[in-house]
Amino acid sequence: MHHYVTQGYVLPNQMHIYWTMMIVLYPYITGIVAGAFIISSLHHVFDREELKPVSRFAMLMALAFLLCAPLPLLAHLGHPERALNIMFTPNVTSAMAGFGFIYSIYLLILTVEIWLLYRADIVFLASNARSETMRRVYWVMALGVTEISEEAKALDRKVMLFLAAIGVPAACFLHGYVGFLFGAIKANPWWASPLMPVIFLLSAIVSGVAMVMVCYLIVQWFNKRPVDSECTQSLMESAWYFLMVDVALEGLELLNHAYMANHDWDILRHLIVDKLFISLFVVQFLIGSVVPFVLLGAAVVFKNRISAGARQAMGFASGILLLVQVAAMRWNVVMGGQMFSKSFRGFLDFHIDIYGREGLLAVLFLFTLPFVAMLIFSWVLPLWGPISTFPTRWLRDRPPEYVPVGNFTRFK
Amino acid sequence: MTMLWDKPEISRREFFEKCAEAGAKSFIFGGLVVTTANLLLAQDTQDTRARAEEAPVKGTKGPIYGFVVDTTKCIGCGSCVRACRDENNVPDGYNRTWVEQYTFFPNGEVIVNSPNGGADGFGEDLPNRNVPEEIGQLPVRGFFVPKLCNHCINTPCIQVCPVGASYVTKEGVVLVDQERCIGCGYCVQACPFGSRYINPETNTADKCTWCYHRITKGMLPACVQACPAKARIFGNVSDPNSEISQILANNRVQVLKSYLGTNPRTRYIGLDSEVI
Amino acid sequence: MVVQPMNSARHFIRLLALLSIAVAAFVKARSMVVPADFGKLGHFRASAITDAAAREPRHLGSAACAECHSDITGPWAAGKHHIPQCENCHGPGMLHVKVVSEDSVDKYPDPIKKYKNALRPTTGIQECKWCHLKTFERPAVLKFITSVSGHITAKGGTFTPKSKCTDCHNPHTTLVK
Repeated sequence: MHHYVTQGYVLPNQMHIYWTMMIVLYPYITGIVAGAFIISSLHHVFDREELKPVSRFAMLMALAFLLCAPLPLLAHLGHPERALNIMFTPNVTSAMAGFGFIYSIYLLILTVEIWLLYRADIVFLASNARSETMRRVYWVMALGVTEISEEAKALDRKVMLFLAAIGVPAACFLHGYVGFLFGAIKANPWWASPLMPVIFLLSAIVSGVAMVMVCYLIVQWFNKRPVDSECTQSLMESAWYFLMVDVALEGLELLNHAYMANHDWDILRHLIVDKLFISLFVVQFLIGSVVPFVLLGAAVVFKNRISAGARQAMGFASGILLLVQVAAMRWNVVMGGQMFSKSFRGFLDFHIDIYGREGLLAVLFLFTLPFVAMLIFSWVLPLWGPISTFPTRWLRDRPPEYVPVGNFTRFK
Repeated sequence: MTMLWDKPEISRREFFEKCAEAGAKSFIFGGLVVTTANLLLAQDTQDTRARAEEAPVKGTKGPIYGFVVDTTKCIGCGSCVRACRDENNVPDGYNRTWVEQYTFFPNGEVIVNSPNGGADGFGEDLPNRNVPEEIGQLPVRGFFVPKLCNHCINTPCIQVCPVGASYVTKEGVVLVDQERCIGCGYCVQACPFGSRYINPETNTADKCTWCYHRITKGMLPACVQACPAKARIFGNVSDPNSEISQILANNRVQVLKSYLGTNPRTRYIGLDSEVI
Repeated sequence: MVVQPMNSARHFIRLLALLSIAVAAFVKARSMVVPADFGKLGHFRASAITDAAAREPRHLGSAACAECHSDITGPWAAGKHHIPQCENCHGPGMLHVKVVSEDSVDKYPDPIKKYKNALRPTTGIQECKWCHLKTFERPAVLKFITSVSGHITAKGGTFTPKSKCTDCHNPHTTLVK
């Protein structure tokens, strides 16, 4: 273990930063989960028809990121082989102990909801997929039940609505508890705040919306398919609204610190102005918030005067910048809180490791895994529309006449 | 953006009725959740003003330990830091106990220093010592402050441990179960005093144990035994005739960061307001 | 509540069955992994307390040194230097006592062999400087010197880089030889 360079007086045990890149990556991933799920729910629960093109994709994206969410935590633990202890002997006063159960319950909700959404397609593919192996796979995914009668669909619809309704608070919990985990640490004045869960959740939604938007644009451009501009417009609007509230709350927190000027304000001020100047003011605020605010605001307010193509480009640029902004926010919270000592008299510099368990390469590798998962999903299920969008070369020759499954208006 | 009530399938009245119903249900559900959460979360927290002489596990008898650090007596020799290192195999770069040196200058500046935790003593005197150029004057006063785990009564570290690896014994000593700790580091973040660290050899959380393996055999902690200046006192606070009880009765004592409400069992004599 | 015909809910029945199996597996795994004494004294493994108490102390105290070295500890206890313990300068005595009483360190299992902090070889100067070299913040409870070279010169000696306090002082009684 190496010591970091210190300035001023740092308590002897604080000469290391214990929560590094993996702990920055984990809330970033669960944030994208929460945001993507909210987009999908906006279509399924709140009837936002214009989001239909991305609703299925958003849900599967949420699952892909969710499956990869425990990996940064396992990479960080001193004893990952003991990780299940948090579910076997959870300490109910610890926010971190909530992870096991909240994660499992939300994984269950999301998986069942996706399963119900795709059940008709899975049943169809169980008899019409080209290869025998894949037909077996689909049969297992259908749990061997090929019943898609009207009563079954009605029951599915009811259960889906219920799951979608409890899924939204569950997704909020999944990311909100991380905010509480930080916000309840009275020992660290940079973290301790009742606003922390709300700030985390709002920036999570921003990152999820941005990721959905960026992925949608990239996939459509790559496949030379048309982009539904009503859909992207709605995504940009959502991103804009949530961005404003998020920045307002983060600004409120800083303002509160500055105004109250508690005993910790002196060191926090040095932290913000000196050590976090670039990552907070330049990256998170200027490049990551002000520029997207202007771009998205223009695209929303002047949508009749700006062409669809230009608005798409603005949306894409804003999406990328917002993804950078949320990553910077996670960095500023997690690393910023450890860059000053609890002696309130000293600072540390953090140097990014390239190799090692929590190094940059490991972080980049883990961050590509959800995209790999989405690629695998795209080979199994139609991500961007109904079963008729599935490549016919993956289906048996001359499949039986495909009848769209009834009046499934909301869940097609 | 079409709002839900503009859709022909649902009338505005029905929409509001649904909202009211959903609102009422959420309110009741939310209330139940919040109440349950409070009951669960409040389980382990102690009264922030609980008396140190009361047993942490109600009804158990036996000694209840306490610690007093007399900062007016510490000479900064570092014997305690070396003794603790040797006794507990503390890895290099980490400290279960350490000594801080406070130096005050005429312009009001305070410099705090703890080279290697104080394990090598504090070296040469001024002017051979490095006084920062911008101060350029000789100090007016100074003292040493030994620090260690405060073994709080209202521990933030036990509160946040996700697996129950951090616990308190019936004597009031806060310990870490090295077999169950998963090395997440949450307790290290939660400790306001910087007493904890992740041991790079065991990859688990570690800290001062008041030499539990010694005090249960009738010995003193290694740092207390080593201190030549009687700056560290350890003993049974539930016994009014013990040395520590006498000292507590005859001195004004303070604790570190009392405003956080952790209610430490380690008390300090002569704590200056600059000591955080 | 309308009772659905069994046919249309078959997939849910199977899902619930899968979930029950998963929960049962979890419960079984928990009973195998979590120690039986967890939770008996609080939310922790009860035997952790006995584990923590079971370690062998390494500093034995000066009384243990006196058992064999009374020719040194006698004058030490009677002199001005009786306050710092033997082990402050010489290091923890546990391994030394074991080695001496059992004749060879090779007879011991690895953890003790790896234990590097056996008796510390004394330098005759560093240990003294820890306490007696004047530091501004130090309360004036001992005799101090401001520098080794200054002290030696003031007492009429010649200072060399190899000078030690024990050249002139008996470390145990502090008397000048």
